[in-house]
Amino acid sequence: MVSTNIRDLLTAFSPSLDYFAISSGDGRVKIWDTLKGQVQTEFADIASTDVSLLSKAERGHLSVDYTCMKWISLDRKKKRKLGSSLLVLGTGSGDVLALDVAAGQPKWIVSDCHPGGATSISFSASESSVYTAGADGMVCKIDPQTGNLLGKFKASSKAISSMCVSPDGKILATAASQLKTFNCSDHRKIQKFSGHPGSVRCMIFTDDGKYILSASGERYVALWRTGSGKKQSVCVFAMEHPAVYLHAKCFEKGEADDNDGLYVLAISETGICYTWCGQNVEELRTAKPTKVSLSYDDKKHRGAHPAIFAAQLQVIPKPTSANVYLAYGLLVKPSFQKVLVEAGNDVELSSFQDGVLFPASQSIKSKKGMDRVSTVTALDRANVEDALLPVPKVSDVHYVQMEASELLHFPFHLLKPFAYADDMVDVETPTTSMETRLRQLRILPNDGDIIKPVIESLTSKGIQLEDNFPQKKIRASVLSMEPSNGYKLLETLVSIWQSRSHSGKSVLAWISWILVIHGHYIVAQEKSEKTQLLSTLLKTTKSREVAVQPLLQLSGRLQLVTAQFDKDSLKNNHVASPDDQVEDEDDDDDEDVDERIYGQEDDGSDLSSDDEK
Amino acid sequence: MIRGGRNYVSSPPVFSNDSKRLLVCAGNSVAVFSTDTGLQVASLDGHAALVTAVIVVPASTPGSKILCFCWTASLDGTIRYWDFAVPEMIRSVGIKLPVHSMVIPSLFNHLVEKSEKAVKSFAYICVEAKEEAEDRAKGLFQVRKCNLTDARLVGGAVLAEMKKPEIITMSSCGQLLGVRRKRKLDIWKVPSTDSGRAVLKKITLHHTKALTVIAFHPTERILAAGDATGRIMIWRGFGNKTFAMANGHVNGSSMITDEENPGVRGSDDAESCTTWHWHPAQVNLLSFSSDGAYLLSGGKEGVLVVWQVDTGKKKFLPRIGSPLLHFTDSPDPSFSSISCADNQIHLVRRPSMEILKSISGIKLPYSHPEISKGMSSGVSFDQNAGLVALRTESYAVQLYSLFDDRGISEVQVYERNHQPVDEVTIVVTSVVLSLDGSMLCTSEVKLPEDGLGHLVCLKFWFSKSKAGDFSLSTIVYEPHRDAGISAIVFHPNRRMAVSSSFGGDFKIWTSNSGAPMKEESQPNSGWICHAVGSYKKKPMTAAAFSPDGSVLAVAAETVITLWDPDKNLLVAVIGEAITPIVALSFVGNSDHLVSASWGSKPQLAVWSLLNLSTCWSYRLHVEAIASSPDSSSFAALVLISESGGVYDPNEKSHKTVDGLILLFNSAEPNPVAVWSVKKAKGGALAFIRNQSSDEESSSDQQQAAQTLLAYMNADHEYVLFDPHGTEAEELSVTRWKSQSSPEESGQVGYASLYGELLPPIPSRKHTPWSVPSFPTERPWETIFSGPSHNLPPLTLLCGPFLEALFEKRTAVEE
Repeated sequence: MVSTNIRDLLTAFSPSLDYFAISSGDGRVKIWDTLKGQVQTEFADIASTDVSLLSKAERGHLSVDYTCMKWISLDRKKKRKLGSSLLVLGTGSGDVLALDVAAGQPKWIVSDCHPGGATSISFSASESSVYTAGADGMVCKIDPQTGNLLGKFKASSKAISSMCVSPDGKILATAASQLKTFNCSDHRKIQKFSGHPGSVRCMIFTDDGKYILSASGERYVALWRTGSGKKQSVCVFAMEHPAVYLHAKCFEKGEADDNDGLYVLAISETGICYTWCGQNVEELRTAKPTKVSLSYDDKKHRGAHPAIFAAQLQVIPKPTSANVYLAYGLLVKPSFQKVLVEAGNDVELSSFQDGVLFPASQSIKSKKGMDRVSTVTALDRANVEDALLPVPKVSDVHYVQMEASELLHFPFHLLKPFAYADDMVDVETPTTSMETRLRQLRILPNDGDIIKPVIESLTSKGIQLEDNFPQKKIRASVLSMEPSNGYKLLETLVSIWQSRSHSGKSVLAWISWILVIHGHYIVAQEKSEKTQLLSTLLKTTKSREVAVQPLLQLSGRLQLVTAQFDKDSLKNNHVASPDDQVEDEDDDDDEDVDERIYGQEDDGSDLSSDDEK
Repeated sequence: MIRGGRNYVSSPPVFSNDSKRLLVCAGNSVAVFSTDTGLQVASLDGHAALVTAVIVVPASTPGSKILCFCWTASLDGTIRYWDFAVPEMIRSVGIKLPVHSMVIPSLFNHLVEKSEKAVKSFAYICVEAKEEAEDRAKGLFQVRKCNLTDARLVGGAVLAEMKKPEIITMSSCGQLLGVRRKRKLDIWKVPSTDSGRAVLKKITLHHTKALTVIAFHPTERILAAGDATGRIMIWRGFGNKTFAMANGHVNGSSMITDEENPGVRGSDDAESCTTWHWHPAQVNLLSFSSDGAYLLSGGKEGVLVVWQVDTGKKKFLPRIGSPLLHFTDSPDPSFSSISCADNQIHLVRRPSMEILKSISGIKLPYSHPEISKGMSSGVSFDQNAGLVALRTESYAVQLYSLFDDRGISEVQVYERNHQPVDEVTIVVTSVVLSLDGSMLCTSEVKLPEDGLGHLVCLKFWFSKSKAGDFSLSTIVYEPHRDAGISAIVFHPNRRMAVSSSFGGDFKIWTSNSGAPMKEESQPNSGWICHAVGSYKKKPMTAAAFSPDGSVLAVAAETVITLWDPDKNLLVAVIGEAITPIVALSFVGNSDHLVSASWGSKPQLAVWSLLNLSTCWSYRLHVEAIASSPDSSSFAALVLISESGGVYDPNEKSHKTVDGLILLFNSAEPNPVAVWSVKKAKGGALAFIRNQSSDEESSSDQQQAAQTLLAYMNADHEYVLFDPHGTEAEELSVTRWKSQSSPEESGQVGYASLYGELLPPIPSRKHTPWSVPSFPTERPWETIFSGPSHNLPPLTLLCGPFLEALFEKRTAVEE
C-alpha cells in the first residue's frame, strides 16, 4: 500500500491508556504496551478457536474480519488494573466477542448477534452495559460481565452504520445516514437529525451528553444538540479529508456558566489530527482547527506513510490548550506520545523509524552502537580547559558577592581611598595603544581597510607575508616575477610597511629581495617616472632607525630594574621578565615600536607601585 | 495510595491446575499472572506481612482442573485459604508465629483424599519459635505440624530446630519431607494416613559441605542435593531400611556400614551416593522432571543445566543473565518457570528450552562494593512523569513507572555483559534524572586491580522520542581527576548539571551552552565543562540547585557555599554543621535550605538564606531528603537506630521498624506528620506530581492531591501516598504502633512521639555566624565572609587585605 488509509483500521486505547489495541483487518489484534512501545501480545484465531468449540470447522484468523472494537472498563472507579477491562470486538459475520486482554482469553462470545455483521459497539459506564448495533438494524444490550443478552430492539429498518450511548446511559443514538436518538429505557424515538448524505462512520456523545458529534464520508464533522427541537446541525467543522476518528472532552471554564466549553478532536483519513475548542457553540463555529501532523520524508517512506491512528484528549489545563495522547507512526511500529496542543499552534511530530525492521530490543542496541560512533562526545582528564575559573580577585569576589546577595554590607568605599593613596594603578582602565589613538584622530592614515584587498591579491599571486616564509622561496618567487610586476609589488609593500599593517620582518625581507633582483629596473623606473618610491623608503627606514637606539637603552634599563627587584623582593614576586620581548625587538627590525613602549611603561608603573608599597 | 515494586522471586511461584495462571508471592500479596500474556490478572490481598509460601490445591480428577483454590502462608502468622479465580479469601488460620515455609503433604496424597473426605489436613511449617523468651534470644526456628482443619498447632510435635529459617521440601506425591540443616539433611516419611499423633520416621544424611537445596525424585527413592561449592549429590535408595520397616522396629538398622554403599557417609541410610560437579558456585535450584528422567539445576552463574539422571549427561540453557533462584514445573508438561535474581520470572517451553514470556518486576537492590561515603542511593525520581531510575546489577539503569508498576526501559550504562560469577570490577555509583526527565546523568567507577586502573567516568544521556529512551551524549573520563563524585544535580530548567567531588572541587557542565530545556530546535550537542569551583580545597560533599536555578549550593564538608552558577561567583558561605554534610536540598518556595550530615553526630539542619544562619536542627540520622516543589514542606527519612537509640524497644514486634518519615514545614521544627517504615536504610524519598488526578478530572468525586510522597525502601518496594491526606494511616509498611492497634498506626501526634524521640538538640536559635578573624595563610578567602556588622574594625582588616592582594598576584603569576 502506497498511501496509508487508516479508514479500515480499528484502534482502541485501554481505559488507563497503558495499552493500545490495533487491528488492521487481517483478523489479528495486536496489543501494544504504550509505556514500553513494544508489542505485549498478539491475538489471532480467537474467534475461530472458540468456534471450533462449537464443533465448526477451523477457519484461521484470515477468515475473521473485525468490524468494530471498543475497550471498556468494568469497574466504576478507574483502576489501573488490567483485569477489570475488556476488549469488545464485533465481526463481519455478526458475532460479538469480549476479550480479557490480561488473561489472554476470550471472556464471552455472542454468536450471530447481528446477522449481516456487527457495525458498532458502545459502552455506558453508568449502566455498565454494552450496546451493539449491526447491519440488521437491531441494537442489542449485553451484560459485559457474562455476555448475556439483556435486551434487543429494532432501531432502524436499514443497516445501522454507527451507534453510541450517552455517558449517563439514558440516550442512545443510531445512524445510517440519518441520525436518530432513542430513550434507552423504553426504546422510544426521541429525535431525528438529517444532513449527512452518506452513512455515518463515526459518532460520539460529548461528556455531558448534550451534543452528538458525527462524521461520514464528507469533509466535515457535524455537531448536533440533543434535547432541542432543532433538526439541523448546530455547528460544522470543516476538514481537508473525511474524519475517521472522533473524540471530545468538556472542560470547565468557570463558575458563572454552567455550560462547559468543548474540545473536539478528529483524525482524518490521511492521519492528520484536528482539534477545535470553544467556550460555547458560537465560539466553536468560528474556531479554526489546530492540526497535529507528522513530518516525513517521501524518499524514506516508499511504503506506507506514517499516520496518526488514534488520539485521546486527556487533561485540559487551560481552555486554549489540551494534552493529547497520540498513537502514531507506522502500523508495524506505532509510537505513543503525550503532546500539549495549544490552540492556534500547529504541531508537527517527527516520525521515527526505530525498530521498524528489527525487534525492538535489537534495534535499540544497534542504534546505540551507531550513536556512539557518531555523536558521543568524550572528554578526558583535561576537561576543564575552557572552564570558568572562580574569579581569583578577592576584591571582586567580595564586591560581587555583596551585590549579588545584598546581604553583606561591607564598607568597600572606605577601602578605596587607601588603595589610591598607595598610588595603585587602576588596572581596570583599558590600555589603548598610541597607534590606535592616532588612527582614531586621523593622524595616521586609517588605511588598513584599503590594504586588505591588496594583501589578498598578493596572496593569490603566491606571495605570503608571513613571518616564517623561507627566504629561498621569497627569492624564487621574486625571480619568477616580471620586473614591472616586481616594481608594483614594491610599491604595495612599502605602503604596507608604512601603514604597519603587517610585521616589518616579513615585509622587509620581500623588499630587500625585490631591490636585489629587480634593482636595475627600479632605478630606471625611478628616473623615467620620477616617482619618489626609493626616497620614501629611505626616509621611513631612517625614521625607524632613530627609534631603535632609545628602545634598546630602555630595555637595558628595565632589565636592570627587574634584577634589582628580584634581589630586593622578599617573596620573590617576580614579574615575567621582558627579556624575550626585547630579544624579539632586536631581530625585529623596528616594527611596532610604539606598542612595545606602551607595554613596558605599563609594567614599569605596576612594578614601581609595588615597590613603593 | 499506590504500592508497587514488589519482589516476585522471594518464594517459588506456583502454577494453577490448568497452567493458565501463575501465582507469585509478591510482598504482602500474591499476584496472579496469566501465562498466555504475562500480564497480571488478579491479586490476593490480605496478608499483613511477606507471603512466604503459596500452594495450589491440586486437581485430583481431570474435571476439577478448573478449581482454583490455594493456601498461602505469611510472616504475619496466618495461613489463608483462597479462591484465586474470584479472587477472595475463604478461610484464615491464625497460628501467631511467623511462617517461613509451608508444605501440605496430604493435598497430594490423592488416594487417601478420595476415600475419606473428612480427613484432617496437616501442614508442615517452618516457624520462628517465639513463645519462650530464651528461644527468642537464640533466634530459633522450628519445623512444626499444624492442623489446618482445626486451625491450631499440633502440640509437642516439633520435628526439628535450627538457627535459620529453612525451606521444607516435599516429594511430589507428598510422602517425604526434607529439610537441610547446614551439612545435614533431615528426611521424614509422612504416614499415609496422617493424624495429630502420628510419629514421623526420620533419617539423616550427611555431607561435608553446607547444603543449599534438595529435590526428591517423583517416583523412585532418589534424592538430589546441591551444596555451596556447586556440587550435586545424588543419593539413591535412601531410607530403604528405616522407612521400609514396620512401626516399632527401630533397632538394628544403624551401625552397619555396608561395603556396597559407595559414597555414603557413615551410618547414613542410603544405597549409594554419586556426585556431579559442573556449577562453579552455589547451586540454587534443583528439580526433577515429572517423569524423573531429568534433573534440572541452576545457580549463580545463570545457566540452567539439564542432567540425564541415569547417565549424568548434560544440556544447557545459557545466557539467562542473572542468578537462578527457583524452578517450577507446571501441570502442563510443555512449560515451566524460572525465577531469576533480577526479579524476573521466565516462562520456558520445556523440550526446546526457549523463553516464551518474561514477567519482570522492579530491579532488586544488589550488593556492590561501597565506593563513596556519601548518600547516593542510586535511585532518582522523575517528579513529573512518575518514573524512577534504578541501578541494576548488569551495569544498566532501569526506568520504572511508579504509577503503572511496570518497567519502561533499560539503559545500558556500561557496555559489558554481566556475568554473575565474575568479580565486580565496575560499579555504577549514581544515577540522576533531570527534573523534566529529559536528561540522565550516570557515574561509574572502575575498581582498581592491584592498585591500577582506577577510573571514574561521568556520562550524560539525553532522551529522544519518548520517555525512558536515552542515548549517550557525552562521556567524561576522570571528571575530577582521581577523586570520586559525591553528588550530581541538574539545573531545574536549563541544560546544566553540577558534579561535586571528594577531591575538593565541583564542576558545572553545560550542553548547548546552558540553553533552556524547552528549546527543541537545537540538536543535542555535547556537554562541556562550564566552570570549576572549589572552597579551601575541602571535599565537596553535596550540591543542590535552588528551585529557580539561580543559586547553587555546594557543601564543602561542614560549610555550605552558595554560588552563582553562571558567573561562577562565590556568593555567600553559610556557617558550620558539626559533621560533614551529605545531602542538601532547597525547600520549594521558601527561603530555606535543608542539610543532612552523617557521622558521629548526625544532624538535620534547616538554614535560612535570608540571614545565612541556622533556623533549627535535630540530631537525627537522615537517610534521604525530599523537598516539595511547590510548597514550603519537606520530608526526611530518618533511621531510628542510628539517631541514637531513640525508639523505645518495649514492643518486640517492632524490631523490623527502623525508620521514620518526618514531614516538616520548613519554618517550624515540629513535624507536620510522622510515618514509621521498615527497611529504611538505603531508602529513598521523593515528591511526585499526581498523574491520576488529571486523568480522571471531571468524574472524580474527591479532589485528588497534587503531589504525592513516594517512599522506596531498601528492597525497592515503594508506596505513593498523599502526605496531607488521611489514607496514609492505613500504610501498612508503616505499622507504627503495633498489630494490636492497627487503627492507630500512621500519623501520630508529634507531642507523644516527641517524648519518645527526644534526641533533638534543643533547636538552636542561632545568632548569625560570627566571622573567623584569625589569620590564615590565605586571608582573602575568609577575611570578608560574614555579615558586615560582624567584621573586625577597618584598621585590622586593611593590612591583611592589602597583603592578600600582594599574595594573590604572585599566585596568579606562578
